[in-house]
Amino acid sequence: MSMLACKNLAVRIAGIRVVDGLDLEIRPGEFWGMLGPNGIGKTTLLKCLAGLDEAASGRVQLESKDIDALPRKLLARHIGMLQQHTVYVFDSSVMQTALTGRHPHLGYWEREGPEDFRKANEALDAVDLAGFAGRSVTGLSGGEARRLAFATLLVQEPDLMLLDEPTNHLDLRHQLRIMQMIREHTDRGRRSAFCALHDINLAARFCSHLLMLFGNGEWCAGQTGEILNESSLERLYGCPVERLESASGPRFHPVPA
Amino acid sequence: MMPTAQRRLLFLLLALISAASIMMATSIGSVNLGWAQWWSALLDPGSEFGDLVWRLRLPRAAAAWTVGALLSLSGCLMQVLLRNPLADPYILGVSGGASFAALLGMTIGVSAALLPALAWSGALVSILVVFSLARGEGPWSGTRLLLTGVVTASGWAALISLLLTLGPDGSLRGMLFWLIGDLSYARLPYWALAILVTIFMVCLGMARSLNVLAMGETTARLLGEPTRKLLWVVYLLASVLTATAVSIAGNIGFVGLIVPHLMRLLVGSDHRVLFPAAAMFGGLFLVFSDTLARTVLAPRQLPVGVVTALLGVPLFLLLLNRARVKQ
Repeated sequence: MSMLACKNLAVRIAGIRVVDGLDLEIRPGEFWGMLGPNGIGKTTLLKCLAGLDEAASGRVQLESKDIDALPRKLLARHIGMLQQHTVYVFDSSVMQTALTGRHPHLGYWEREGPEDFRKANEALDAVDLAGFAGRSVTGLSGGEARRLAFATLLVQEPDLMLLDEPTNHLDLRHQLRIMQMIREHTDRGRRSAFCALHDINLAARFCSHLLMLFGNGEWCAGQTGEILNESSLERLYGCPVERLESASGPRFHPVPA
Repeated sequence: MMPTAQRRLLFLLLALISAASIMMATSIGSVNLGWAQWWSALLDPGSEFGDLVWRLRLPRAAAAWTVGALLSLSGCLMQVLLRNPLADPYILGVSGGASFAALLGMTIGVSAALLPALAWSGALVSILVVFSLARGEGPWSGTRLLLTGVVTASGWAALISLLLTLGPDGSLRGMLFWLIGDLSYARLPYWALAILVTIFMVCLGMARSLNVLAMGETTARLLGEPTRKLLWVVYLLASVLTATAVSIAGNIGFVGLIVPHLMRLLVGSDHRVLFPAAAMFGGLFLVFSDTLARTVLAPRQLPVGVVTALLGVPLFLLLLNRARVKQ
């Protein structure tokens, strides 16, 4: 059974065709990567999958129900999204921010219980922010704010994680950590992830499936091993790419013309 | 986040200081009552000073506390609504509509007892104008609401200036006091207290949703909030709070801006703690300010809005400066 399905989906932004006739099924256990050049509409498509924006035509369904018809609270228990930017206007503590991930799981007057605090602590620990619980969010560095946003997503425990360039602002070690955690999230076989990326090699290494956006609504989707090659990457980015074999699989490098 | 014990201690402290402020306000004035006199007056409304305490000072102190709480709560809501820590209860023109209606009433000589009702209907007109103009189609836009509100407020301000220019000299002082904010003739109407309590409970129920909303509309939607509905509810609640406060005491400035700020510094930005703390502190702050306004130049009475502004402006500049240093 598919967790999230796009059926003949067309997405537009400001007159640009992002995808046309997109048929896609994200099943439990799958880790999808979305590749495409800047400004091609990756964020727009993610927002559409999260039910934030409306599609031009076609449907997005969560377990066979149109997501527009589902209440936001219910949706938030199944789909969570890491946005590209996180801006904090009002001061708040790191712990309090991480706990907002529990919001969709709590009732009107309900307070966070010990279990919620445990989940938040675990998530902060997982992103190396264990000692930061009492710190103010406005004082965090770009990378720390990013990791906090990811921790909040972990606390939310959605079945499907949508991530908009999760490795932005992160150093090498934390890039790997985050990708590993997303894979662990999908490894249990009950959950899935779908993430916009710019790093082809992270995609090659971690993603089980890829969606490539070529512009003009053209796209191609499939298992990573089948569609990730020099020719598809050259078509995607408009620059020559060479393939190198490494111990852990193929790696791709741009070749200066 | 505040530990539960600390939070309860703070609420208890604020409640005690609130009680103390009302006690002070009812014992100080043209006749200063000692502890024993005050107590016997309180126990026996028919005694020598009972009338003074029960008919004059207590209603005024209760009105001050309620108005302070109304304005502070409204300020907290407006700041989340516009995602701007500098928003205050008057920014969207509610008070302008109320003031214009009240001043128009004074100009044509309506009885003073009818002024609150008149002010309330003026505020309601303003709320509906802004609501229907800013609502429109398409996604929620805080900017559109802000601009509609600010421009509406300017419109009211122009009409108020017109009234002040054309109005009879005899009513000018009364109008001025209304515009600055004054509690001299304020009596606590029970419906105002009922509005305060009801909206306060609703706010507490929504507090966690507002915490999420403060992180941005998109984030709030992703965490399960139907934000458009929530934002209009917040706008209407804040407007009703403001309209109620203004109809009792005119445009008392700075309470609705300063108190939410001070409390954010003290208790953090969790609205479950912020709402009760701000309401109680706003109440006691206005009771103290009004007592100062009555006594500092006695027998002359100052409009309380002058005192809150004189206390509020330096306090606010200090806070701003502190915030800059912290960054």
